[in-house]
Amino acid sequence: MALRASRWRWSRAGWQRLALVLLWLGHGTWVLMGPASGQRWSRAGEAFSRPSQGLAARWAERRLAQRDAALSLAELRADRTRLAAELEQARLQAAREAPRQAEADEAVRLLGLKKHIPLELGAARVIFSTRPAVFGGLILDQGLDRGLVQDQGVLVPEGIVGRLWSVSATQSKILPADAPNASVAVMLMRSRATGVLQGLGSGRALIRYVSNQEVVQVGEAVLTSGLDRVFPRGLLVGYVAEVTQGDLELRVILNLSAPLDRVSAVLLLPPQPPVEVQPPFLAPDVKPSKKQRGTP
Amino acid sequence: MRLPAPSSLRQQLFCGVTLALVALTAPFPVVQALLHALLVLALAPRPGAALSGALWAVAAGWVLESTLHLYPHLGGTAWANLTVVLLAGWMAGRWPLEGLRGWLARLAGLCVLHGLLVHGAVRLAAGPHPWGWGWLASLLTLPLWGWLSWRLLHPPTGTGRR
Repeated sequence: MALRASRWRWSRAGWQRLALVLLWLGHGTWVLMGPASGQRWSRAGEAFSRPSQGLAARWAERRLAQRDAALSLAELRADRTRLAAELEQARLQAAREAPRQAEADEAVRLLGLKKHIPLELGAARVIFSTRPAVFGGLILDQGLDRGLVQDQGVLVPEGIVGRLWSVSATQSKILPADAPNASVAVMLMRSRATGVLQGLGSGRALIRYVSNQEVVQVGEAVLTSGLDRVFPRGLLVGYVAEVTQGDLELRVILNLSAPLDRVSAVLLLPPQPPVEVQPPFLAPDVKPSKKQRGTP
Repeated sequence: MRLPAPSSLRQQLFCGVTLALVALTAPFPVVQALLHALLVLALAPRPGAALSGALWAVAAGWVLESTLHLYPHLGGTAWANLTVVLLAGWMAGRWPLEGLRGWLARLAGLCVLHGLLVHGAVRLAAGPHPWGWGWLASLLTLPLWGWLSWRLLHPPTGTGRR
């Protein structure tokens, strides 16, 4: 008995026997588990790893959400940058196109006016303005090369501008209607009283030779009378701004309706136009806010 | 006359070569079965060194089943090999050999037992399966590989027949 006990100590042979037993039992267990053991082990492994898999899935979802958020934020920033760049480019483009657009709009307006006037009208572009200077005017890009002559009437859709003062080979100079040395034959729309326009500068003019007997209202439209053979009858000149009584005549001051400082393109009337044409301007019947009788 | 046990290095070397041949002869299942039986029944068992023989036998079983690609659950052949090699090692220590005839007779008994155990264990592990012809080839060629293993493990010394 003592001999057997000594043989089964944890000697090298004992360890080998234990390894053999474990090897045999392990293989036997494995064999007895049969072909479905893999599935059983897989199921057991899945059950055992379910909590960690859940945690891993949540962690992955969180990371995915963070990545999506970062991506969407980055995309939004990129879109914002792109849109800002596009907006800036569009603004630059609009600013670049603005003069051309304004010119096109002006041309359309001139074309509309041209359709309403039964005369052979020409068009010209204002290339320079010397109005701030004394006896300044507007310089057109056309001259004798296009058949222009002196004293041709110049107008825009808002009203008359003036007349050609001098014509060179390729350019012309307009004498604006508000120039001190300008004169335009005009008439008042209601009273049909005629007079001569004399410029006062800054878009204002004085109508001379209107009798004290006439009744002139502030806000009344002033039209060309056609007597100067520069403008036909009925073109809008401006509106009465002020009427004062003079010794022999009324002092009628009007605001010119044409924006002389912002004119970029004009229409040119033919030389010596007929006195009577169909008036293109149907001046609105402005009710004057302040009535003033011209007669004492 | 009790025969001396072959040297451990020589036996391990033969086992290693035979195991490699088992793996390499996978395209020829009958030859593979012969080599497998040779390794498990003749070369691996060694009295007093059961663990190394068991490991060789287990390795042979796993290699054979892995190369066969037949069973859905491996391990049956290795378990049967382990059982047989432990039995053979115990028998070698309990009844030492005295000649070639006894060796062949022991191998024959072990071969039958091995065949039955292998198929039983494989049935347990992987379910019903074809028997094949390896067991019959092993049994029929037993004199050949039994003699060969005898010569390998106990080479003649030149003093006469054993």
